[in-house]
Amino acid sequence: MNPIKNSVCEKAVFETIFREHSKTIRNFIYMKCGNLSQAEDLTQDAFIKLWKNCAKVPVQKVKSYLFTITKNAFFNEYEHQKVVLKYRDIQRDKVNIEDPEFQLQQKEFQQKLDNAINRLKPKEREVFLLNRIEKKKYREIAELLGIAVKTVEMRMHSALVTMRKEIKNYKI
Amino acid sequence: MKQNNDTTFLAKWLSGELSDSELKEFESSSEYQEYLEITKALEHAELPDYDVEANLNATFHKIDSQEQKKVKRLIPYWAIGIAASLVLCLGIYTFFNTKNYSTQLAEQLQFELPDGSEVTLNSASNIEFAALNWKKNRELSLQGEAYFNVKKGQTFTVNTTYGKVTVLGTSFTVNARDNYFNVMCYHGKVKVITTNNEPIILTKGKAFSLQKDQTENYTIQHTTPEWLSDQSSFYNVSIFEVVQEIERQYNITISGKQNLKQAYFTGRFSHTNLDTALKTVFTAMGIPYNLDKNKNVVIQNY
Repeated sequence: MNPIKNSVCEKAVFETIFREHSKTIRNFIYMKCGNLSQAEDLTQDAFIKLWKNCAKVPVQKVKSYLFTITKNAFFNEYEHQKVVLKYRDIQRDKVNIEDPEFQLQQKEFQQKLDNAINRLKPKEREVFLLNRIEKKKYREIAELLGIAVKTVEMRMHSALVTMRKEIKNYKI
Repeated sequence: MKQNNDTTFLAKWLSGELSDSELKEFESSSEYQEYLEITKALEHAELPDYDVEANLNATFHKIDSQEQKKVKRLIPYWAIGIAASLVLCLGIYTFFNTKNYSTQLAEQLQFELPDGSEVTLNSASNIEFAALNWKKNRELSLQGEAYFNVKKGQTFTVNTTYGKVTVLGTSFTVNARDNYFNVMCYHGKVKVITTNNEPIILTKGKAFSLQKDQTENYTIQHTTPEWLSDQSSFYNVSIFEVVQEIERQYNITISGKQNLKQAYFTGRFSHTNLDTALKTVFTAMGIPYNLDKNKNVVIQNY
């Protein structure tokens, strides 16, 4: 294997890595801070750091390197804003879209859900969203965050418990 | 119910790790529908759109601009800092080191250099030198006229616009004014180096002058400059320079200088009596003039 061909310093390799991982990183930061432009800024900064240290980072370790940088960035910069999820209207096929009451209920519930997510503890939220939105398995999340699988499961559980209570108590 | 005690129960439910019996029990509980509703709603939720190519471009743009900044900064900030402090130190050193003596019109000043050499400044003159390390580097710059009585030691150099005069230990006068350069040696030897001429050596009683590229060597009788004893003496000096010297010594303005015709004056005038001074110069040279009570001197056409 030609080592230079596989180096992160190769622009083509770097671009591939960017296309493969930058969205995950962006989403991860967004879940943590809820600020989209800050999330994209920090993502770009993480990749700039990777580019500068390209000679020191083997391709196999790129992912954990990026996550480590991202987590470290939060020691310096953390200003939480609201995470706003986007809900696709796939109910179209199942339900009569002419039913305005159903649509209103849907909107209302989504609002409650957004609120509940933002009231979670940051550590619960990141685990919960990584699993529910990013469809990551507990084992993967544990690996990314450097915590035990058991911890991930506990955070998932308590996140759900909190959310159920928040939704019940929510008044519009 | 197990879900209340197991802190990972709901996590296991989501990942499908509950046993059949656990699942059945949970599904019959009152909270089940609420949990289900949450997870169902989130199945259709996603994070805001992400434009990977735009972000890739933005990243490369940032990298480029950072690298450009790096390249442009050929001189690092710390180097600029050091340079600035050096300049400051040099400035402070020069400020405290440079000594400056000057005289106004109708004024003379006598002072000692750090090695004990004496300097007398004639009117409207200026001397500047570096006081530190003076004994090893006896060099000063002069504008105007000064008399030097130099202690023996290292080479003593007087720099002027027209040339420099170097000595070892002697007494001499240097006069460097507009288009007039004159050196008189009273003791010892001096070396005079002018821009366009061969260096010349003046011994005791010898003098050198340079007026508009015309050099002249002549002898002097006195052993100290006559302006020290309130007189100015001249040997073949342009009348223009003599008139300016009268102005300097008496701090007056003489008008009608355009009437002067080129002539050379040899002689002296007194610094104590303007009337006498004017008579000795102008009457001797056949120049008509007028002096009124307010010391206004006008040269008439002749």
